[in-house]
Amino acid sequence: MSHDGCDWCNSPAHVRPGHSRREFLYVGLIGGLGLTLGNYFGLSSKALGEAKNYATKDGVAKAVIHIFLPGGIAAQESFDPKPYAPIEYRGSLGTVKTKLDGELFSETLPNLAKVADRMTIVRSMTHGEAAHERGTHNMFTGYRPSPAVQYPSFGSVVSHELGSQKNLPPYVCVPNVPNPYAGSGYLSSAYGPFSLGADPANGNFAVRDLTLPEGIDDKRFEKRKTMLEAVDDHFRKLEKSDALDAMDSFYQRAYSMISSKEAREAFNIKAEPEAIKEEYGKTTAGMRMLMCRRLVEAGVRFVSMTYGSWDHHTNVAAGVRGQTPQFDKALAALILDLERRGMLNSTMVMVTTEFGRSPKINKDAGRDHWPRVFSIALAGGGIKKGQIYGSTDATASEPNDNPLSVMDLATTMYNQVGITADKELIAPGGRPIEIVKDGKVVQELLA
Amino acid sequence: MRDVDVMRVNKIIASVLALGLLVAFIFAWLGSPRRALAAGSGSPSTPTVPTVLKDLDRVSFKLDVMPVLMVAGCNSGACHGSARGQDGFHLSLFGFDPDGDYYRITREIPNRRINLAQPTESLLLQKAIGAVPHGGGARFKPDSPYYKTILAWIEQGAKEDPADIATPVSLDLEPKELHLKGPGGTQQMSAHAKYSDGTERDVTNLAVFMTSNDNSAGVSHEGLVTAKNRGEAFVMARFATFTVGSQTIVVPKDAPTYVWPNVPENNYIDKLVNAKLQKLQILPSGLCDDATFVRRVFIDVTGTLPTTKEFDDFVASTDPKKREKLVDELIARPEFVDLWVMKWAELLKIRSTDQVNEMSYKATLLYFDWLKDQFAKNVPINQVVKQLISSTGGTFKNPPTNYYQTENETLKVAENTAQAFCGIRMQCAQCHNHPFDRWTQNDYYGWASFFTQIGRKPAEDGRETIVFNAGGGEVNHPLTGKPVPAKFLGGAVADVKGKDRRAVLADWLTSPDNPYFARNIANICWAQFFGKGIVDPVDDVRISNPPSNPQLLDELTHRLIAYNFDLKKLVRDICLSRTYQLDSVSNASNADDSRSFSHASVRRIRAEVLLDCISEVTESKEKFRGLPLGARAVQIADGRTQNYFLRTFGRATRETVCSCEVKMEPNLSQALHLLNGQTVERKIQSGGVIKKLIAAKKTPDQIVDELYERCFSRKPTSQEKTKIDAMLADSAKDPQPVLTDLFWALLNSKEFIFTH
Repeated sequence: MSHDGCDWCNSPAHVRPGHSRREFLYVGLIGGLGLTLGNYFGLSSKALGEAKNYATKDGVAKAVIHIFLPGGIAAQESFDPKPYAPIEYRGSLGTVKTKLDGELFSETLPNLAKVADRMTIVRSMTHGEAAHERGTHNMFTGYRPSPAVQYPSFGSVVSHELGSQKNLPPYVCVPNVPNPYAGSGYLSSAYGPFSLGADPANGNFAVRDLTLPEGIDDKRFEKRKTMLEAVDDHFRKLEKSDALDAMDSFYQRAYSMISSKEAREAFNIKAEPEAIKEEYGKTTAGMRMLMCRRLVEAGVRFVSMTYGSWDHHTNVAAGVRGQTPQFDKALAALILDLERRGMLNSTMVMVTTEFGRSPKINKDAGRDHWPRVFSIALAGGGIKKGQIYGSTDATASEPNDNPLSVMDLATTMYNQVGITADKELIAPGGRPIEIVKDGKVVQELLA
Repeated sequence: MRDVDVMRVNKIIASVLALGLLVAFIFAWLGSPRRALAAGSGSPSTPTVPTVLKDLDRVSFKLDVMPVLMVAGCNSGACHGSARGQDGFHLSLFGFDPDGDYYRITREIPNRRINLAQPTESLLLQKAIGAVPHGGGARFKPDSPYYKTILAWIEQGAKEDPADIATPVSLDLEPKELHLKGPGGTQQMSAHAKYSDGTERDVTNLAVFMTSNDNSAGVSHEGLVTAKNRGEAFVMARFATFTVGSQTIVVPKDAPTYVWPNVPENNYIDKLVNAKLQKLQILPSGLCDDATFVRRVFIDVTGTLPTTKEFDDFVASTDPKKREKLVDELIARPEFVDLWVMKWAELLKIRSTDQVNEMSYKATLLYFDWLKDQFAKNVPINQVVKQLISSTGGTFKNPPTNYYQTENETLKVAENTAQAFCGIRMQCAQCHNHPFDRWTQNDYYGWASFFTQIGRKPAEDGRETIVFNAGGGEVNHPLTGKPVPAKFLGGAVADVKGKDRRAVLADWLTSPDNPYFARNIANICWAQFFGKGIVDPVDDVRISNPPSNPQLLDELTHRLIAYNFDLKKLVRDICLSRTYQLDSVSNASNADDSRSFSHASVRRIRAEVLLDCISEVTESKEKFRGLPLGARAVQIADGRTQNYFLRTFGRATRETVCSCEVKMEPNLSQALHLLNGQTVERKIQSGGVIKKLIAAKKTPDQIVDELYERCFSRKPTSQEKTKIDAMLADSAKDPQPVLTDLFWALLNSKEFIFTH
């Protein structure tokens, strides 16, 4: 791989050698001392305290719902139709008028068109990564992939910075951890996502391992805990180790989650009124988004959700048309539901995908990967209501104005939840790494 | 043209703003006035006054100017050495491309960076002393030898060096070993370089000094080491492409008198470990008891727990050689093979893909079976690797060829081979000389040249690939644009003319004389039993990550070679050492020790073994893809096999060769899964152990003992008994729920999840 223009070559993370993850293991949890070769690089351990550090503030947004459309949805068939482009560019789908003057969506998004006045559609998202895993990495971490460092996902950073509240895990994946980049990266896996482990759209949905096993009621569980205390006591007195303390702390968190009615109830989608379910649609997209709302309402900080499969190398029109109705209905319902509950201003909804698709329809009536420019959608959490940010040229090949980088998107999102993305987190070996490198808060995106 | 200029200026402004904070910070530190050697620091040694140049009459760009750029930090990654340079001025990172640097300084923008008419007005110097605004601040003073060197070079016409100029060939750092009392003890280091023309030079003032642990020993720019807290550090000097280091041991100056307790030494391992402990004035923990030993050695050697019978027999035995006998017996078990095959399957990335032309599922199984067969037959490890590296033929017919199917990118194959078998990470040197090791780009591409002629073609069965020697193909060095002759790591250029390059490499790599191979295997072997390598992580051997006990690693290496690469014999030595059999309970002097093996460490059991142990004690069976019901998780052939428990507990996915794939950190999902999840609850039910024990007319008391023995390899303490008895008394009619709860609690306890 060439390193031309690669950010990590310049990154302090790259030039400061480190020790293993395992060595670092408990530092983030318990505190400790990382070895450092810092003299050379101006980071003696004293200087580490001078690593860029900012206290987390109260953000406008209290939570983020990240909806990811894996495979790379075509902007042309969703948020950025090109009705005046030649047929081989515009494709076969029509358009629909949105609430915004003169702005069109693809015909696949009639419901979202009606709530466009609550959203910011970014049509000028851009990065250079045309491979699925690399594009996905960008959109989950705010960094280009590095052979030397595993970056933490947005959710893990939020988990690290904001912590847990109301006995709930701070970062939840719906339904499962979607890809390797949604994890905790160089941070301890303690900050990794908690995944539902089951799809809320399934009739018999239950969160994995949250409910007590069959035949074990609360009383019995209490007895078991007492028993476990008794059994653990001997070892605890005998052995001292950070590893043991860390394991203990997760048992405590598990206990509080299991025993908190509110926490358990957050996952209980059955408690949702039928009418609400109908609004979202009793579909995969609908139930997942409804679950996202329940979770942020209960106190989860960051929910990461995936829906569909959008890698339409063949027959893009049919592919998009098949999956968008659920998505369109559910997302519009989510925005309206959040608004109705007074949560929209404090909940940022961020709909992304790993890249867009090629301007020209290929020989199989599909579109291929196109990271030069694509669309994402934002709403709530202090995002400006009712705007189209950036635009593409006549064939959706290049950004026309206001290209939005991954770093700027990430920095803006972090800013909204009260995190200064320039802050340095400490990676293995005492290496400070910015949460996002060289990003800026894009004021034009904000209300 | 104007637009370009404006863009360029904008770009510069943007990059200045963006990097400003970081750069300012680093430079503020680097630029702080260099402290004169503190008078009264208690240093017994007088620092040499290093001469940058004895003879300023003939200044060489490569020999004199380049080292100044390095020591002043000009070509570091955060400054002009970054991929795009800094503010329009780019230098090669750590000076890996001196010719390019010469061009950039003298010719890139003519008359800008140097001024031959008025040398002191040269921007290079003006910037360096901070006479004009410089993002990096003042690097050195006008009266410094650094300034004088560069000035003299410009005054002499900023000449290019003759092509045959001498090059540095080695670096020597004195003293080689430091014993300091802290805090406050000092020692001046001195660095000498040797050159290809036979000359020598004191380069103390041109070397960059670093420490691996400035909590124990700090080092100044001038190479003055100052002791701090008890512990070890590795003080390093870097000059040209060389990094060398000295082991530094710091003991408290007011420590109580240290008396070595004269503990028994079972074998050479104990001698070498104890020698280190004595240097550090650390006392080892005591010998662990039989119960602790039996559990530890079963898990580490076989990945299983002792049965209650095995436990009882061992504890009851009065044979003074019973530990030795047990080790011998365990090493001979097939489970020993399973465990090591799993570890090697990780090293070899045995994992299927759905990609056409990559490892098919069938090839994966064949590869794994071949590996297992090698270990089962106890084929010497070097012979196993030799077959892998030199393999040709079909991936079905000759499974070791799959080594070239798990990765087909030339550079990755080269990197993986170095990391897996030598423990060396070469990745850095792909783009620039390794900043903390000896590896240059020439080394990297010379190494890669061994793998450029691998041919691959589809076999009749679409799932099989034929690997062959294509006899042609090169990869070019990015600077010269030419291929680099195949060269052994840290060794000579190989004679590959008319030969299969991989066969040549295989001979070199697996030879007993190879400086890395046996050492790497010995270290990996050690790490299995101590949770930590002597070099750690095991696959990050570099000068700046030295072994914690080099003598020990040397000796283990020699033994492994003497044993003809028979892993079992080395494992036996390790397990029979007193060091391995130490207690995990620490004393005042060794509580903080995590590198010198003065006590056993408490380690979480790795994912596969933990699942197998749960299956074993609950007498329940697991089913994995491609394996019969009841097979153990360590026997999984394909890294892609899905299993929630294993994933949650951090097993390696075998997507890379990195040892970091195996994760031991705890998380919420693990806790929830053990508390509520399928694994524990279902297995307790499906195995029916409690029912069976009750049916066998055992008393609740006996069952409690039995469960403790199964899970913890010990009997319950009287305190535990009291508590459990109380709970049993509450439901005297039906003890089963309470006993089930006890079983559940044992499986959830840290004493079960951890080995100690």
